[in-house]
Amino acid sequence: MRLALLSLLTLSTMSHMPILAASALRVNEPFPDLTLPSLDGGKPLSISDFRGKKVVLHVFASW
Amino acid sequence: MVGIIQEQHPSRARLFMQWKQMDWPVLVDALDLLEVAVVPITLLIDEHGVIRRRVSPRSDVAEVMESFLSGTYEAPPAVVRPERVGAGVVEAPGDGATAESWRRHAESLLLWGGPARLDAAIDAFHRAVEADPEDAWAEFRLGVAYRLRYDSPGGSASNFASAVEHWARSRTLDPNNYIWRRRLQQFGPRLDKPYPFYDWVAQAREEVRARGEEPSRLPVEPRGAELTLPASEFENAAAGTGPDPEGKIHRDGGQFVQVTSTVVPHTGQAAGTARVHLEFRPNPANDAHWNNEVDGLVVWIDPPQGWAVDRRKMSLTNPPSEASEESRHVEFEIRRTAESTKSAEAGVSGYALYYVCEGARGSCLYRRQDVSVSLPPAGPAAAR
Repeated sequence: MRLALLSLLTLSTMSHMPILAASALRVNEPFPDLTLPSLDGGKPLSISDFRGKKVVLHVFASW
Repeated sequence: MVGIIQEQHPSRARLFMQWKQMDWPVLVDALDLLEVAVVPITLLIDEHGVIRRRVSPRSDVAEVMESFLSGTYEAPPAVVRPERVGAGVVEAPGDGATAESWRRHAESLLLWGGPARLDAAIDAFHRAVEADPEDAWAEFRLGVAYRLRYDSPGGSASNFASAVEHWARSRTLDPNNYIWRRRLQQFGPRLDKPYPFYDWVAQAREEVRARGEEPSRLPVEPRGAELTLPASEFENAAAGTGPDPEGKIHRDGGQFVQVTSTVVPHTGQAAGTARVHLEFRPNPANDAHWNNEVDGLVVWIDPPQGWAVDRRKMSLTNPPSEASEESRHVEFEIRRTAESTKSAEAGVSGYALYYVCEGARGSCLYRRQDVSVSLPPAGPAAAR
């Protein structure tokens, strides 16, 4: 968990982004059930695949 | 820990994750199906799939995490939400279908149909836009489809120009989307962006190799605007003399090399600044190929009065092979200078010099091709 937290802090400080709301993502509402390709080329994934576990989700970019 | 990455080139994200030694599962959202207008966003999602908190950059992250992980959350009332896009191609809708139906079909083709279905995805996105010309998301994703087509086998420079056209259209419909603006800025004037996009790639490869690992491969290398730093000086027409000032080199009107231009304007208020992309491709109809045993491609630009460019002369280095047929790319930036107040459409001209051969045993020639590119008029400043 410590490594994950440090990773999160690194990504956030690298991004230089304005703080704006994402209208489709609201607190106390279900996360959209959306299946997307996996970066490692494996099975497509959805956040619902992690049901039963708490998830720290980071929406980011590599640019 | 799970990631969703806004990236059209997943290979670049893989290199980034390898460099940072991050091994969490990551989903690739090349089309921004999540419809976020900005990144990064960090969400804490409980075991029932409910978003419990958005982590602010100003938060004490460790404290917020500990609170979330130790907290207990009740399951919400059972609500069945239809999945927007599943894993698999959605059947094409019939004639008269809504823009939403065409868009879902197009998105599924692009995500799950593979390179062979890209053209079909592009057609379907066009049907969505025809059904609703104000559908900004369809315009943005049509641009993504064109860019992917450009990067795929058989892709052409016109695909890149189409990508830029549709991204620009999406921004016209909704100028507030940061992701869409960044997509244009990625290929636009370097003065338009607060920092380079992929300047980390070289450092990433170096550090990965230092660890004894092989860097993850990039099938599409970042280039030009994606890498370079802002230019500090611009040259006008008075600076320097070109390599063929009297126009004595024989002209090629496209018989041997075809030239395509794409202009990416500034997305902000500095209207009159643009980045011009030129692509030179040996004409396959005449079995033309580059002659790499002599000097490489040279491009010379003559900015019109009232304009200046970041460099007037660009020279490319040949690959090590004796001959090759790849497309060659040159980019330059042009901006309106203080002396010019005209808002009419302007054009920038120049020429390219190159050595090219025709066929396996054909003639090898030195040719000049004149280039002329239309620039967008100044007009009202675009919204940020």
